[in-house]
Amino acid sequence: MSDELAIDARELRRSFTTGRRRDRRIVEAVCGLDLEVNRGERIAFIGPNGAGKSTSIKMLTGILRPTSGEATVLGLVPWEQRRELARRIGALFGQRSLLWTEIPARATLEMLGVIHGLDDEHVRSRIELLGEILEARELFDQPVRTLSLGQRMRCELAAAMLHEPELLFLDEPTIGLDLLAKQRFRDLLLLLNRELQTTVFLTSHDVADIEHVAERAVVVSDGSVIYDASVAVLRGELLTNKSVRVGFSSVEQAGAFADGIDLEWRFGAGTPSVVVLSVDTNTTPIGPVLDSVMAADGIVDLSVVDAPLEEVIAEIYERR
Amino acid sequence: MAAQPAALIVAGVFYLMVTAILAGLWRAAADASGGTVVGYTAAALVWYVATSEAATIALPPRMIEDIGNDIGSGTIGVEMLRPTSVLWLRIATEVGQMLPRLGVCVVVGCFFASVTVGAPPDGAAIALAAPALVLAIALNIVTQHVFASAAFWILDAKATWFLYQKLVFVTGGMLLPLEVLPDSLETITKLLPFSAMAYIPARLASGHFEPELIAIQVAWLAVLGTAAHLSFRAGERHMTSTGS
Repeated sequence: MSDELAIDARELRRSFTTGRRRDRRIVEAVCGLDLEVNRGERIAFIGPNGAGKSTSIKMLTGILRPTSGEATVLGLVPWEQRRELARRIGALFGQRSLLWTEIPARATLEMLGVIHGLDDEHVRSRIELLGEILEARELFDQPVRTLSLGQRMRCELAAAMLHEPELLFLDEPTIGLDLLAKQRFRDLLLLLNRELQTTVFLTSHDVADIEHVAERAVVVSDGSVIYDASVAVLRGELLTNKSVRVGFSSVEQAGAFADGIDLEWRFGAGTPSVVVLSVDTNTTPIGPVLDSVMAADGIVDLSVVDAPLEEVIAEIYERR
Repeated sequence: MAAQPAALIVAGVFYLMVTAILAGLWRAAADASGGTVVGYTAAALVWYVATSEAATIALPPRMIEDIGNDIGSGTIGVEMLRPTSVLWLRIATEVGQMLPRLGVCVVVGCFFASVTVGAPPDGAAIALAAPALVLAIALNIVTQHVFASAAFWILDAKATWFLYQKLVFVTGGMLLPLEVLPDSLETITKLLPFSAMAYIPARLASGHFEPELIAIQVAWLAVLGTAAHLSFRAGERHMTSTGS
C-alpha cells in the first residue's frame, strides 16, 4: 500500500446478507475493487444504480468495514482510523445534509471548527475565505432551512471544506440543482482543486458533471471496475452522442423540418411538434447542425442534451 | 441551538394547558382530603406538577423515533464522518435544543404557580430544583439514546418509543407524586431511573429540601451515560460490519 496515493484499494470486497431464514442470500455489493487515485486528481466514480458506488465510498470513508481486501486513504486504513481520517477528508452527500437546519450555516461552521480542533481565528478566516470563493457570505447568516437547494449546497460545500481536507468525496452533489446552479457548483470544484490541490472523488449520474469536473473516469458495474480512462478518452470514445431537441410552433412546421434533414431523427414522445435529432459528433460536427436548425421556420425551443449515463455504460458493455 | 419562536410559543401554550388542568385536579384532590395529599399541600402539588411537566414538555417530542429513523436511514453514517463521538455530539445538540423550551416552560410555570398558589414552599429547595431540572432532562435525553440504539439492530425504534413513553409517564412521577402509589410500587419506582427524570426535580420544587436527590440523579447520569456510550459503540460496530 502506498502513502503517496490519495486512495489505494486492493481486492476490496463487501457482501451483505439479505432476506430472512429461507429467503436468506448473500449479495456481493463490491467484488474485488482495485483502485489507485493520485493526490490532486479529479476522479469520477460512476456506474448504474446498484453498481457498488456508495458501498465503495462507505468503505473508503470508514463507515463500512470490507468483507475482505485492503485499502488506505491518505495513508490511513479507513475502517480502523475513521476519526483520524475524518480530520483529513471532506464529504458531501447530495441527499443528506451535514448542516443543522435550524441555525445559520455560520454557526454550524463554527461548531465544526471546534469539532475539528481548529482555533477560533483560523475558523473565522476560513469562513471568510470560503464565503468569498463560494459567494456565500450572506448565505452563511441565514437559517439553513430558509435557503434554496443551490444555496444550501454551497453552504454544504463550505462545511465539507472548512478543515482544508486533502480529499473530497462527493456523492451526487448536484442532484436537484438547476442548470445554472450545477454549472456554478462544477466551477467551484475546479477552483478548489486548482487553488488548494484538493483531490476530488465524485460520483454522479449526470454526464455533464463528469465532463466538466473530472479528469479521469472509473466506471463500476456489479461491484468491479469495467472501465478506467481519462475523461478526454471517454469523451472521444463514448460521450459523442448528443440529442438536439427542436421545438416548433406547429406540427406541420416540425414535419417540414424533419423531411429536409439528413440525420437520424424522431418526434418527441407525445409531442409531435418537437423533433429530436441524434448527432454523433465524431462524424457530424455540432456547429453546422445547429446552423441548419436555426435557419428553419417556426422554432420556439432548442436544447442539446448528452446521452444518459446508462447509455454510455451500455456502450462500454458492448465494447468489452 | 436556536429554536423557532412559533414552536416555543406552541410549547409554552401546551405546557400551560396541561399544567393548569393537572394543578386544578390536584388542588381539588387536596381540598377533598383535608388540605393535603400524602403530605403535599395544595400549593406544593401545584409546584410539583409545574416542575414535572416542565421536565417532560421541554424535551423534543418523539426523540427516540427520530434517532431511530436517523439510524435506520443511514443519516448516522454521515455523522460518523465527523472526527468526534456521534453519541455525545447528538446529546450536546439535543440539550442545546432543549434549553430554550425549558426556559419558556420555567418562566410560564413559575408565573402560573406564583399567581395561583403564591411563592414556592421552600426557597432553598427551589434553588436545588433548578439544577435538578437540567439534570433530569439531560438524563432523559441520554436514556432515550440508550433505548433508540436498538435501531442499530432492528432498524426501527417506534416500539421502543411507545414503551419508553409509558415508563416515564407511569413510573417517572410526571402526573403524580410517587408517594401516592402503593408502598411496594413507590419503592420500585423510586429505584428506577425514570423517577430521576420528573419526580426528583418536582419533589424539590414542592418544598422538600433533600440534596441527596441530586446525587441520585448524578449517579443515574453516570450509569446511563456509560450504557449509551457502550450501546452506540456496539451499534456503530454492528453498522460498519453489516452495513445496515
